[in-house]
Amino acid sequence: MRVQLMMALRYLRGRKLRTALTTMAVVFGVAVLFGMNALLPTMLQAFRQTVMAATGKVDLMFTSVTDGPFPADRVEIIQGMEGIAEVTGSLRRNILLPPDMASQAGLNAVTLVGVDPEVAARMRHYPLKEGRFLAADDGDAVVVSKGLAEKLGLAPGSTLTLPSAKGTTDFEVVGILNVPSIPGVEEVYVPLPAAQRLLEMPGQINVIEATVKPGVDRDEVEKAALAALGDLFKAEPPEVGEELIASLEMGEIAFALFGVMALAIGAFIILNTFRTVVVERRHDLGMLRAVGASRRAVVGLILAESLLQGVLGTAAGLAAGYGLAWVLLLSVKSVMQQYLRMEAIAPIITLPNLMTAVVLGLGATLAGGLWPALAAGRVTPVEALRPVVPGAYERAARRRGTVGAVLVVLAALALLTGNFNLAALGTLLFLVGLVLVAPVLVSPLSRLFGRLLALIFAREGRLAEGNLARQPNRAAITASALMVGLAMILALAGIVTSTFDGFMSYIDHSLRADFLLMPASLVLGGGNVGAGPELVEEIRAVPGVAGATTLRLATAAVDGLTVQVVGVDPETYPQLSGLVFRYGDSEEAFAALGRERAMIVNGVFAAQRRVKVGDVLTLQTPEGKREYRVVGVGSDYLNAKLVTAYISQANLERDFHQTADLLVMVEAADDADMAAVQARLEEIVRKYPSFVLTEWRSFREEQERVFGQSVSLFNVIGVMFALPSLLAMVNTLTINVMERTREIGVLRAVGSTRRQVRRMVIAESLLLGALGTAFGILAGLWLGYVLVAGMNVSGFVIPYYFPYTGVLVAVAVGLLIGVGAAVLPARRAARLDVVAALRYE
Amino acid sequence: MPIIQTENLTKIYGTGETAVVALDHINMAVEKGEFLAVMGPSGCGKSTLLHLVGGLDRPTEGRVLLDGRDLTALEDDNLAALRRRRIGFVFQFYNLIPVLTALENAALPLLLDGVRPAEAHRHAAEWLQRLGMGDRLHHRPDQLSGGQQQRVAIARALVAEPDLILADEPTGNLDSRAGDEIAALLRRISSEWGRTILLVTHDPRIAAHADRILFMKDGRIIDETRLAGTGEEQAQALRERMETL
Repeated sequence: MRVQLMMALRYLRGRKLRTALTTMAVVFGVAVLFGMNALLPTMLQAFRQTVMAATGKVDLMFTSVTDGPFPADRVEIIQGMEGIAEVTGSLRRNILLPPDMASQAGLNAVTLVGVDPEVAARMRHYPLKEGRFLAADDGDAVVVSKGLAEKLGLAPGSTLTLPSAKGTTDFEVVGILNVPSIPGVEEVYVPLPAAQRLLEMPGQINVIEATVKPGVDRDEVEKAALAALGDLFKAEPPEVGEELIASLEMGEIAFALFGVMALAIGAFIILNTFRTVVVERRHDLGMLRAVGASRRAVVGLILAESLLQGVLGTAAGLAAGYGLAWVLLLSVKSVMQQYLRMEAIAPIITLPNLMTAVVLGLGATLAGGLWPALAAGRVTPVEALRPVVPGAYERAARRRGTVGAVLVVLAALALLTGNFNLAALGTLLFLVGLVLVAPVLVSPLSRLFGRLLALIFAREGRLAEGNLARQPNRAAITASALMVGLAMILALAGIVTSTFDGFMSYIDHSLRADFLLMPASLVLGGGNVGAGPELVEEIRAVPGVAGATTLRLATAAVDGLTVQVVGVDPETYPQLSGLVFRYGDSEEAFAALGRERAMIVNGVFAAQRRVKVGDVLTLQTPEGKREYRVVGVGSDYLNAKLVTAYISQANLERDFHQTADLLVMVEAADDADMAAVQARLEEIVRKYPSFVLTEWRSFREEQERVFGQSVSLFNVIGVMFALPSLLAMVNTLTINVMERTREIGVLRAVGSTRRQVRRMVIAESLLLGALGTAFGILAGLWLGYVLVAGMNVSGFVIPYYFPYTGVLVAVAVGLLIGVGAAVLPARRAARLDVVAALRYE
Repeated sequence: MPIIQTENLTKIYGTGETAVVALDHINMAVEKGEFLAVMGPSGCGKSTLLHLVGGLDRPTEGRVLLDGRDLTALEDDNLAALRRRRIGFVFQFYNLIPVLTALENAALPLLLDGVRPAEAHRHAAEWLQRLGMGDRLHHRPDQLSGGQQQRVAIARALVAEPDLILADEPTGNLDSRAGDEIAALLRRISSEWGRTILLVTHDPRIAAHADRILFMKDGRIIDETRLAGTGEEQAQALRERMETL
């Protein structure tokens, strides 16, 4: 192995530029994989720590399995139990602050905690700086922390206005707590009845806290208490902000996938490079075999080279990834500080993350080097010492071509089955098939494109076409490098286009009312304070308003799966808005919602639990288990991504005690004076600071703009995919020129000008670019279609839209790469010294 | 016993109508320590003969015996080991590894055989010294002239102390002065160090250094001559003989 390593090192050093370019491919993949995995856990950990810090010292904490509210009298079940010292019920809710207060306080939400003043003071220590703690006979009184008081300029006796179901509620500040500000979570304490009024949740609490008597086994008591409370309750280490944690975890998975994909491309580039390296070094390899190197030794040489590049690339990738994590962290720091109040965080390097990046980085390079290495081992000494016998090559190419064609057909069949797993496997088959078929297609395709090219490069075009047709395998390798890059770009474009158009059509179908009264956070459950029935009644009374409908929200559990339950009015909702139905009939479904315990589930729900229309599911509600019949599968814009069930507002009130409206849609009459209606609505909304009035059209435009921003992120990713392809093209073209040095010398000797040689190389590169683009578009469309189909299987239904722009971009990028890749090799070819070139071997 | 013996050695490239008979039932023997040259016009099959004798390629028919052992019966790995230890090759285009120094190129067969680098390098340096390359040990091939590169290739062929040196047009890529030097070197390797040399060439001046010459045409040996007299006389005689082929 020592001699192979030594030679590998020398070869790599001897071709510094190429080594650098191929290594970059590995660096990129490892950096993304490692960097993202170092960053996201940091944010998760910081977030968890922040959250943990907020929970004071209580021994036991019980919540409903649905995380929803429940009647306050449940506290009594535990009250007399053995081992329990104190028990109290409270109502905790994040409430979003109105924008002006949010900017003043430097945070956009506070946690409203409704407590029983006497018991709470016994269970926890509330150190006072000024004023007093809450008392049993307090009305709308509030106790805030020192930090919040300073920011908002509060003192005992001043007024704190919070958004409420009635619009706003004024609280009198009675005390300032001398507690350190807890990063990210600012708690304000009010008497329980006040919290229930503010949140429109009369008689409801959502947390039971208890302390145990000294010397009692805490776990035993917890078990007994749980048994007494029944299976509607769970005991848990208190943790909030699960939505954010979930989306961070999703991000972790997404970036890991992206990193793996980037590494796969890296492996492909390594594969391509080493395939050309093996061709280029046929003489060297043959000579090694002639002087007695065994096949294994030759295989080992190429593998040693890829291993060295893997080590280099992985090491550089780890460093770059760590840097990337820091850069990203610094760029999101201000956001994190503002919204989460998290500070002093650094990327975390965990052993598993490190190992994963190292194993995948080295694995990808070794895997990329394996096939060429085996091919190198098959080089016989004589074969390497004389030119290839064309007949043998063509036979091999035809055989591979046939295998490739079979793979493509299999992939097509897999796609037709409609089974996502088969289709995903099919995509792999398709790509491999395309790579195998490519050499056979090079001749006819280069003739086709050659004719076009002849219009620009009359003589050189013919030569270039001939060069490609003579080395179809080489041309195919180069073209397939470009193919993979373009396929990725196009697949991304396919997904983005489809998601974009899909989202817009969701907006058009399910959120179409002239005016929307939206909560500050678009995710319905994101800590928004709803409004009581007065709001919508007031709106309905506005002259020119034809109708208004609202959405309400609760959570339930189905067999351990947390489900967001959206309450709609079965009469008005379908008239003003509606769902995009996949199964079931809209009219019948909404009629059933009004008639019985029926629900419409969204695609994600249906996919995760394989729910069909007609199934009867048991929902865990605050009132116990309730059976709901599934009458349709459909979704609206806001809830397309979350597991959601739609039920009637009557059922939501009966089973979930939720009556607050979180979103109001308003339809104006056809002949209404829109400006007047809007002015009147604005007046009403002013009393409800947690709502924002939006005109439908501007909402749609805003969504389009936000989406456009994320599209630009995809463009960056696209460029990242395109760059390695460019490198691969430059690589192979340079090798092509090197290999043909003597030939170019002959061309120059018989009278070709430098310009003609340069144009010949450029024409060749353009032809390769055209080939790669053609393959890439084919593969990209396929990949994009499969990915969109995959999203549909997961329940997030979007139709497939053909990415016209993507195809145009791919053509442009492909041809640009074609020309760009030729610049250096063409210059090199044109500058060759004729005599030296003729002597070159 | 001859060191090399071939029995009905035949090589046919391609099949059916496109089949080309490169070697047609060759029977020949090379004695130990002999310097044998094979001459003939382009395409007569002389390089093919060399490749088969060296175990680089497999015959369509017939056998090659090295010290009485049938090469055609050997597995690939055994053949590779045999090439490492018993046979040294010299090619027309030197075939040095461009990224290795002269010393490393010369040491390659030993390194491939698992010999410790220090020892392999010491041995290679000795041979390079003997061949007049002592001051060029750490030059890469692109820093050496054609003749110097060929000396490195010869050192590589000799470093494992093989009995048999196979040289395929070793002067074909050199000017006449360098070619003469290399030919004289091969003569020395045979006389002074007792190696058996099988040389393929079409240059009479080079072949004139050999003990015996085989003439080939169309894949067959058509004549054989043993040389005597001065180098220049022999060369002239060979030139005339070649013209009749």
